Amino acid sequence: MNPVHAALAYFVWFLSTYYLLFFILTLFANESRLFERRRLGAQRPLVTILVPAYNEQGKIAQTIASLKRITYERVEVIVINDGSKDRTSDETRAAIKGDGRFRLIDRRENRGKGASLNDGIAAARGEYIVTIDADTVVEPNILQKVLPYFDDEKVGAVTVSVLVKRPQRFLHRVLELEYIIGLSLFLRLLSFMGIVFVTPGPFSIYRASMLRKIQGFDASNITEDLEIAYRIRFAGYRIVNCMDAKVYTILPPTFKGLYRQRRRWYTGAIQTMYQHRKQIFTTRQGLFSAFIVFNYSLIFVGIILFLSSMYLAASHLTQQLWEYQYTGWNFLENLKEYRFDILRFSGIEIIGLMGLLSTFVLLGLGLYYTRTNVRHKKAAIAGYPVLFFLYQLWWIAAIISAVRGKRVKWK
Amino acid sequence: MKKMKNIVPILALLITIFLFATVLLVSSTFEQRRQVYLDTEMQKVYNSLNDMQIYMLMSDTYDQKMACIAYKEKLRDLDKTTWQLGQKIDQYRAASEEFRKDPYYLQQKQVFNENEMLYLLLLKKVKETCDMQQSIIIFFYQNSDDCKKCDDQSFILTDIHRDIDKDAAIFSFDIDLNLTTVRLLREYYDVKELPCVVIDDHPYCGIQGRDFIVGKICENVTTLPQCQTQNASG
Repeated sequence: MNPVHAALAYFVWFLSTYYLLFFILTLFANESRLFERRRLGAQRPLVTILVPAYNEQGKIAQTIASLKRITYERVEVIVINDGSKDRTSDETRAAIKGDGRFRLIDRRENRGKGASLNDGIAAARGEYIVTIDADTVVEPNILQKVLPYFDDEKVGAVTVSVLVKRPQRFLHRVLELEYIIGLSLFLRLLSFMGIVFVTPGPFSIYRASMLRKIQGFDASNITEDLEIAYRIRFAGYRIVNCMDAKVYTILPPTFKGLYRQRRRWYTGAIQTMYQHRKQIFTTRQGLFSAFIVFNYSLIFVGIILFLSSMYLAASHLTQQLWEYQYTGWNFLENLKEYRFDILRFSGIEIIGLMGLLSTFVLLGLGLYYTRTNVRHKKAAIAGYPVLFFLYQLWWIAAIISAVRGKRVKWK
Repeated sequence: MKKMKNIVPILALLITIFLFATVLLVSSTFEQRRQVYLDTEMQKVYNSLNDMQIYMLMSDTYDQKMACIAYKEKLRDLDKTTWQLGQKIDQYRAASEEFRKDPYYLQQKQVFNENEMLYLLLLKKVKETCDMQQSIIIFFYQNSDDCKKCDDQSFILTDIHRDIDKDAAIFSFDIDLNLTTVRLLREYYDVKELPCVVIDDHPYCGIQGRDFIVGKICENVTTLPQCQTQNASG
């Protein structure tokens, strides 16, 4: 009997169930608008696409190739080489050669993504500015899909569906599902509620005047795409999502790379929240502030529950292993004697099962409403709950980094 | 659209509260079923012990040996039922007591220990009357917060019971229940340290390993397959 752990489990279950239902109900209420398409007006404003690049050899060429296939008439592309130590600069020059729409800003010194983007903003001539990652592949008609959203003067930025390009490993296939739910459907639902809190790095488009008004990106922040979203909101603009527009990004190939990426994301999230704590807690941002506080509170309380659960599980396992030494380590004989008895389930087991079920319900609804073909995704679907363990580990690493004030690098 | 935005948070909260109430209802239903199960099993044990007492009277009144066949059959079932019931009380208690102790389970443990005492006394008498080769093991323990090794000893005895449940009867008495009968038995065997295992009237206090206990059982029950294995390896 551990009443504190039990109370914490019920509390986290209640909050996370509420969170889940909030989004499911938003989904049902806006089902017909998910893949809404808006018509582009007669005007064709110039759009600048900024591509900051650091050590992107082997990837930058395909990004540039996809940008060349964009069908929108008035585009300029500025690639900013941020002091790469590999052949990024050479590959870029070769890829853009002969195409007047492309320019290269070649920096010798690495100053970070935020600073590179600010250089790009300074050089941009477009009325709208797109920022994309150097390993992103875009749809040819993406600009025609996103530009109509700026007809609303209050819209400062538009995000799109960020999906994973050709996942090969099992973990990448599981993360592909996460991107479908989190960086596609979830952003669309947040858009309906007016609480989009991030402009993802793989592709976001901004109103150029607004970007200059808020002085561009924070070069000192490791998640500049998240931080700028807060300032866009505080400046009175909205961020919306066009789920119909898709881009494809590449995941870090190794687990270590993935760990670094997530640690950066989550450390940046903590640092951004701390940086803007006054505005979040005191400025009248309505549902946006409430969502930010609720979202991160749930994450942190969830981590405490996770650590408590791991401690109890480890204690129990240690006790069991200790006891087995007295009986000759006869695990198998004891396993044969095991009989399932549902009456041994306490409330915690019941809510645990409900939590697992709700994970698959959310995943199922997400895949259904995003019209995803699940034929080759069954193994990834079965492995999806594993992500929740990884989230805890990544968040714990991020909290430690943030508390230590450790500088988390991009790469 | 604004109306929808306002309704969604409230509706989500209402559904969450409904689901929470469902969890509480399911928990409550499980609790009721646990209690029904334990009451039923306890009644079975009680009925079996009643039967044993009747057989005892029959032996005393008529022929001493006439009830021995009935005893042996009854003991086979009673031993397994009693052991499993003891485990279920502990398991169901752990499932029920998430936030507070439940007096029902304390009461069940007390009744169970008293029934075990009755069973122990009847078994001793039956052994004498019917000349049975069965070891009797009495295990004294207390709450694991005060006696860390008690859990270990319990695990060892559970393991032994699984292998030789027909040839050894194991009785577990919780000192924390403060039952007079258990206290008297503890004083009789002069148990000063916990955990303590009394094997065929010889107390061995402190944690005792599986091989030791099986070895002691083999001194009285030579027909056990484990005893032949032990002799061969010895």
